[in-house]
Amino acid sequence: MVRIAKLLRIVQREQCIGCGSCMMACSRTWKNMIGVEKAALKVRAYNGIEGAFSIRACYGCMDPDCARACPTGALTPRKGGGVQLNESLCTHCGLCIEACAPSALQWDFSDQCPLPCHHCGVCVSFCPNHVLEMVEVDQT
Amino acid sequence: MTVDLTTGAARTTPLDELFDTYLGGTGAATKLLMDEIAQNKDPYAESSSIFFAIGPFNGVYPLCTKTVALFISPLTGNLGESHAGGNLAMALYQAGIHILKITGRSAFPCYIRIVNHEVSLHRAYSLKGMSALASERVLKERIGNAWKSSIIRVGPAGERESPIACVTVDTSRHFGRLGLGAIFGNKNLKAVIVSGSGGMQIGNNKGRYLKFYKNLYDQFVHSTALNKYHDLGTSMNILPLNQINGLPTRNFSQGFFEGAESISGENFADRLLIQKIACAHCPVGCIHMAILRESFDEKNHQYKSNKIAYDFELIYAVGSNLSLNRPEDVLRLLLIIEKQGWDAISMGVTLAWATEAFMKGVITSRETGGLILKFGDADIYEAVLNKVIGAERGGNAGSEFYRDLEKGTAFLAEKYGGESFAITFGRNEAPGYITGLHGFLGFSTGIRHSHLDSAGYSLDQKKRGVEKPEEAWTEDLFREGRWRTLLNSLVICLFARNVFTMPTILEGLAALGMTQWDEGKLQELAKKIHVMKYQLKKDLGFSFERERLPKKLASVYTATGIIDESEYLRQMRVFEDLLAKDAASLT
Repeated sequence: MVRIAKLLRIVQREQCIGCGSCMMACSRTWKNMIGVEKAALKVRAYNGIEGAFSIRACYGCMDPDCARACPTGALTPRKGGGVQLNESLCTHCGLCIEACAPSALQWDFSDQCPLPCHHCGVCVSFCPNHVLEMVEVDQT
Repeated sequence: MTVDLTTGAARTTPLDELFDTYLGGTGAATKLLMDEIAQNKDPYAESSSIFFAIGPFNGVYPLCTKTVALFISPLTGNLGESHAGGNLAMALYQAGIHILKITGRSAFPCYIRIVNHEVSLHRAYSLKGMSALASERVLKERIGNAWKSSIIRVGPAGERESPIACVTVDTSRHFGRLGLGAIFGNKNLKAVIVSGSGGMQIGNNKGRYLKFYKNLYDQFVHSTALNKYHDLGTSMNILPLNQINGLPTRNFSQGFFEGAESISGENFADRLLIQKIACAHCPVGCIHMAILRESFDEKNHQYKSNKIAYDFELIYAVGSNLSLNRPEDVLRLLLIIEKQGWDAISMGVTLAWATEAFMKGVITSRETGGLILKFGDADIYEAVLNKVIGAERGGNAGSEFYRDLEKGTAFLAEKYGGESFAITFGRNEAPGYITGLHGFLGFSTGIRHSHLDSAGYSLDQKKRGVEKPEEAWTEDLFREGRWRTLLNSLVICLFARNVFTMPTILEGLAALGMTQWDEGKLQELAKKIHVMKYQLKKDLGFSFERERLPKKLASVYTATGIIDESEYLRQMRVFEDLLAKDAASLT
């Protein structure tokens, strides 16, 4: 069976100017918060040789390491890829963000819980340089 | 938030009333500085304060990226005001700090670490003498990756209390003008690191806020409103200004630089631009970074590379005004200036003055320790800057002159002579426009004596083919300066000034629930802040009567011809009268 899902993808990382508009968009849309600390993705300054910024956004894994690490079943695989959070089950242990190798799963420091990406694409519509895109992914 | 460096204590004070009255930013900070100077007017007094202020739009709307710094300027002895982008406004916003006041003097070299409302003072002897660029590199590791953070710091120039020293903000943004760096140095303060983890919850107006935000974003990103900054940046102005004889060349001798093509924004972009980066929460991203690749061992093909930010003012200051036409030479000097933490405009104008002073015999090789200063020689300028840096260590012939060189043009001219070609306004070195009467008038009447106060240079360019009495242009200049006090209270980036019109500002405020403002109230507030600023300037010794056009500028050919000095003085009176009228009308 072919399973196609639209997922957030970083398609032109080198074109990032580090403005943070994506994080602002995510945070205000999902958390009613004007700021960047409740965003489900993160833009970091990068001192290496490939461009100036590194972007960490959910990879939409089919067998997510973060969900496997969750001891209570609060974080579970989401249909189409990635994870969803049942906040009432979350014990704020932080094992999920430890388990995500590229640190793509973000942490809400004030509520002490993960910030799973909804792959809604609002960040894409506020990226001025086509760094992000919603891409159809075959997850067969 | 007040941090006292003498005691190490920090305390917070509610600002609601102040912000209800003055909006924030420059309005609120001016009021605080005004209260301060009743007690003290000396920038180097232990009790002197620095105010960093943001306003209601910072963090909340795109392109509202600036932080205002207010202080007493060690360069001019008058109002010190400088604005910088970078991450600082966003970090302060998220930390829940609207005004950061730093006062007192540390007994030891230190840096301040602020995480939300937690403040700590740290010893930083090891950072002494460290370049502004290296300081960021090493302090970055103190932050980690969580939370929006900003590092502001001084280079060695600030530590030496050079009154043309700047405070560098994150990657290549600066509180450049009027010598804030020297106050940091005097306070034994090397750096301030601000991190914030909070933000503002959207209230009941979510729909209105989102709609307004999207509209702004579309104008910034999808319309042509910000094209210039999106594209070549401010350096786009090099060629058009040159074409109309408006680009200061060889210490303002003329407005045409034969090498303009080579140092144009176009050429920089084609050859050396490697990336553009943005201030936090600005989708335009106008910070233009060039690469300077230099060989350090030609035989073995060994190279070193540096990323250096460039802009119109920087290219003018160490390019056309020093007659340097190779972009690499401009970058080479800018790198030294960046590391030391000088204001590039002030240093460029000072080097240009020194060159002319040398050519006229006002200073000789006795002062320069044998160096022959001449326009167009980048190696000599590099040697001069290295002497300034080395002079502090003492010993070399001519070191007194080099120690003096970083005290700015006005100081040098007073000590050595050559005042007629010292291109300063209110003791501040002139920005890069030789456009005519209102350009210069803007610098002399401006709150900060900067091109950003009222953009008179832009009026001069609009004059072509327009019949209008000079008084009317002066009134335009006055109105623009007054209006900008409002923009600087919000605090927006002035590159977005054409988008933030009165209706837009009102809608922006309303979307945040600040419905108490209307057009009349905002205009009245602009007037009030504007008048207060000049009152503050007068209290610190400013007078319109004493402001003179640098003698040389009365005889050079500008973009709008030769300036009649009596007309210039007449327009100064017109400006002063407009201000007096405003002051009288305040309720």
